[in-house]
Amino acid sequence: MNTQTNTEVQHYLDAMREALSDLPAAEVGEIMDDAGAHVVEVAEEMGDEFTLAALTDRLGTPQAYAQELRAAADYPAPAPAAPTSIQPMLVARFALWSLVAGTVMAFAFATSRGDGEGLTLLVGLVAAVGALLVFRQKGLLADISRLPETVALNEALQRAERSEPLRVFLTSLRAWQPAWWVGRALLIAGVGMLAYRVRSPIVLVLIVLAALSLLAGPKAKTDRRWLWISLPATGFAIGGLLLVLASMTSWLDYRPSSSPVSYTTSTRVPDNIYVFDKDGKPLTDVHLYDEDGQPLNTPWHGCNGSPFRDDNRFPRPQVVHDENGCREIPGVPPFTIVIPGAAPTVTTTPVTGQPSVTSTGQPSVTSTAPPPTQSVPPTAVVPTS
Amino acid sequence: MDTSQLLKGVLDLAVLAVLRKEDGYGYDVLRRLRQGGLDGVGDASVYGTLRRLYNAGLLTSYVVPSEEGPHRKYYSLNEPGRARLLESGKTWKSFAQALDDLLGEGA
Repeated sequence: MNTQTNTEVQHYLDAMREALSDLPAAEVGEIMDDAGAHVVEVAEEMGDEFTLAALTDRLGTPQAYAQELRAAADYPAPAPAAPTSIQPMLVARFALWSLVAGTVMAFAFATSRGDGEGLTLLVGLVAAVGALLVFRQKGLLADISRLPETVALNEALQRAERSEPLRVFLTSLRAWQPAWWVGRALLIAGVGMLAYRVRSPIVLVLIVLAALSLLAGPKAKTDRRWLWISLPATGFAIGGLLLVLASMTSWLDYRPSSSPVSYTTSTRVPDNIYVFDKDGKPLTDVHLYDEDGQPLNTPWHGCNGSPFRDDNRFPRPQVVHDENGCREIPGVPPFTIVIPGAAPTVTTTPVTGQPSVTSTGQPSVTSTAPPPTQSVPPTAVVPTS
Repeated sequence: MDTSQLLKGVLDLAVLAVLRKEDGYGYDVLRRLRQGGLDGVGDASVYGTLRRLYNAGLLTSYVVPSEEGPHRKYYSLNEPGRARLLESGKTWKSFAQALDDLLGEGA
């Protein structure tokens, strides 16, 4: 049976269920199991010649079918229908839109990894009340199917199903339905356990939803009340699926080799820092701080016997290992720099390392003066050896 | 189909009769009745009759899962059902005999 046929048979069954809705629910369930299967079988026998009109010619209108069945089964005649007042329509509208809201919210809640718990709880409660009403209140489903928005939606769906590619697509989807029901339940429970603390009450709610969704899948085919379970479950499951796919994509895209170098904000202080004044004269015993006033401490190991240092005082003595053993040379730069308009400063320190110039801002905690807008770079770096 | 008490009684008898030899689900029972010559019997009447006989305790039912399409609910005759079939069968035969005699050769 194609989707079009399925939808029309479903409408027929809904109307039949509605015409019997004054009977005890258990009895209606038995009749629908029995006669509902019969209607489906008759529709299947018609094959390509199936139309709703042909089905009605063969079996009578759903109301007539229900009426004939009632008479043969000796059920009491239905009570005369109460005039349609504004109230049932209001309740029907509430039930319908609570389903829409519940489905959308379930999707949003899943994709956002559980943001907006308060709002979700509120919408969830509203949707639960809607579901309860649909299950408890006889005739509500028929009221809902008469709402203008439901009629418009049904017509839109039927129009959509008339397009051949979509029909083929939906038919192929239907073959996967049982697998989807199981997958949906697993997704709900799985995403729930992964995304939330195991002892969170949300997980319990999701596990109950997963179990109910498993039940709702096959039931919703013949009893539309179960849509109030299966649609929100589908919303959550699809949201969860997107979340899982997004996580997998970002994980697959992670390439340590090609990932850009990330510059962390933690300050790494070089082993040694040489500071010069505006005349190019090296300064000693300078204390360095970052913009938050934190001292830029770095560890320093001297020769054996020197105490271990971890402070922000620069430059450090140079540690030289040679044939004479270990020596500490006071912290003066092993190079000279030339600053425009300043005499070169010559130091007589033997070079042990690579000449280097480190340009370091030197904000002071206590200084309120703005930093110089333009630092003058040294025009030349001359190793002193 | 007219569902007067008389015909309702006849339909009960017919349904019990087709279930005497073999269990059947609703559509099955309907086909057997039609094959037996009861063409005018309405689909819904058969299902209604099955429900009534079941609720009266004359039938038992069990569900057989189906690979394609919905599950089928089979009905089978139990002891009270067989007793009813026997009794209603006798009533029907004497009734039919009486009617035959009334009509005589002219019918």
